[in-house]
Amino acid sequence: MTSSTLLLKDKVAIVTGAARGLGEAVARAFAAEGAKVVVSDIDAEAAGRVAVMLPGAIAVGCDVRDPAQVEALVAAAVKEYGRLDIMVPNAGVARVAPLTSTSYEQWREVTSVNLDGVFLCIRYAAPQLVAGGGGSIITMASVTAKASCALIGSYAAAKAGVVSLTKTAAIELRAHNVRVNAILPGFIGTELVNANKRAFEEQLGIPDFDAVIAQRQGRYGTVEEVANLAVFLASGRSSFSNGSAYVLDGGVSSSLL
Amino acid sequence: MIEMQGRKALVTGAAQGLGLAIARLFIERGAQVMLADIDAPGAAKAADELGPMARSIRCNVTSADDMAKAVEATVAAFGGMDTLVNNAGIEIVKPLFEHSEDEYQRIMDINVKGVFLGMRAALAPLVAAGNGAIVNMSSLAGTNGVPLFGMYAASKAAVIQLSRVAAAELRPTGIRVNAVCPGFVGTAMVDRLIPTVEAIVGVPFSALVAVKQQRLGTPAEVAEMVAFLASDAASFTTGAHFDLDGGLSAGLL
Repeated sequence: MTSSTLLLKDKVAIVTGAARGLGEAVARAFAAEGAKVVVSDIDAEAAGRVAVMLPGAIAVGCDVRDPAQVEALVAAAVKEYGRLDIMVPNAGVARVAPLTSTSYEQWREVTSVNLDGVFLCIRYAAPQLVAGGGGSIITMASVTAKASCALIGSYAAAKAGVVSLTKTAAIELRAHNVRVNAILPGFIGTELVNANKRAFEEQLGIPDFDAVIAQRQGRYGTVEEVANLAVFLASGRSSFSNGSAYVLDGGVSSSLL
Repeated sequence: MIEMQGRKALVTGAAQGLGLAIARLFIERGAQVMLADIDAPGAAKAADELGPMARSIRCNVTSADDMAKAVEATVAAFGGMDTLVNNAGIEIVKPLFEHSEDEYQRIMDINVKGVFLGMRAALAPLVAAGNGAIVNMSSLAGTNGVPLFGMYAASKAAVIQLSRVAAAELRPTGIRVNAVCPGFVGTAMVDRLIPTVEAIVGVPFSALVAVKQQRLGTPAEVAEMVAFLASDAASFTTGAHFDLDGGLSAGLL
């Protein structure tokens, strides 16, 4: 970090799904820029292990599928810090299966975390952002919201829904100085991608998933690179950005071949 | 956040408006900037005001020769070049079928050919830099149908496609290419088009802006987006076009 002034000094932020991977990187980057971070995860213990490393941070367990828990998460942030400025509904899951062998339970698991969870986070965080005079919500969508690939139909549909929610929230909240933008990462080197590589190779007949990534997007992105964009969108530097969907994908979605 | 320390940039159309705001912010963040503009005295005056990190050169972006000289001058002044902002552009605001062939040619030459020539001229030093970054100024008109901006919109859509193809082809060189698509921003360009738009649409421009995007953006806000994309903080972003429009394009009505 080389900026002379901290970009998120004394801002209060909630990041869900922050015990590992992308969410953890966002929480770390926010803290490095001076924010007080509520590190939230369904795995409260793991969230605690992240929070203890970040100055001023607290951990709050939350299953984002449950309205009462999301409401309690926002209340915990306000109780601890007296306000809320930034919400990053990042928690997400993926189930890799063709649509025709996706069970309804799998579909609901993916859509309830990835889409219901984002709705609930916006629903309960927005009034606090409005009460504080404004703020920034950064949703974590995916390039699969723009163009999908086989085996992740439920995930992609939920992420497309996230982009849509982002736009509606942006328009409804802009009079209150609340900005809402989406990040659409390509394939990032996370557990989520690693865990599903083999399934893609087997079910799609791809000999080497990494080689496809190398050809299509150069390399895997890093969680820190996604976190950089989240910091930008959380900060005043992006004050004219609202309702936008920002792609960060090494070019995979902008080229056909 | 990684700032612009040590960046060596060429910005076209930098004598005023968005280009000048971009040059100013780059310098604030530690970059050296060559301000290129067809208005040589304007660019020189702006560079003077920005201090020792700024230089200027006359450049008509429709001339391959001028573009090559601007790149050469940047490399000579700063010992290399790693950042190119193709910002120079013009607007023509009138109903589509009132555009003359000359007007078509002029807007395509400056807004599209200028971007192509700029990227082509900068290729060698940007490859040598290893972390080269190109940011091309497109517009929300490049992704949406905007009445009265038909030819401008076509030119700005072309800028997005040029950026995407360049991004894919240049990926192995480490050069990233992205476009920025602002909504209505408070610049002389927008001031010029207000009377035309009001006369044809019959609604005060300020009311139009208030409903659709609440307020005009500022050149400094656009500059922030350009600076982010030009910096190593955006190291995985290429082939993208980043809107910034206060919500203008998010809603239907």
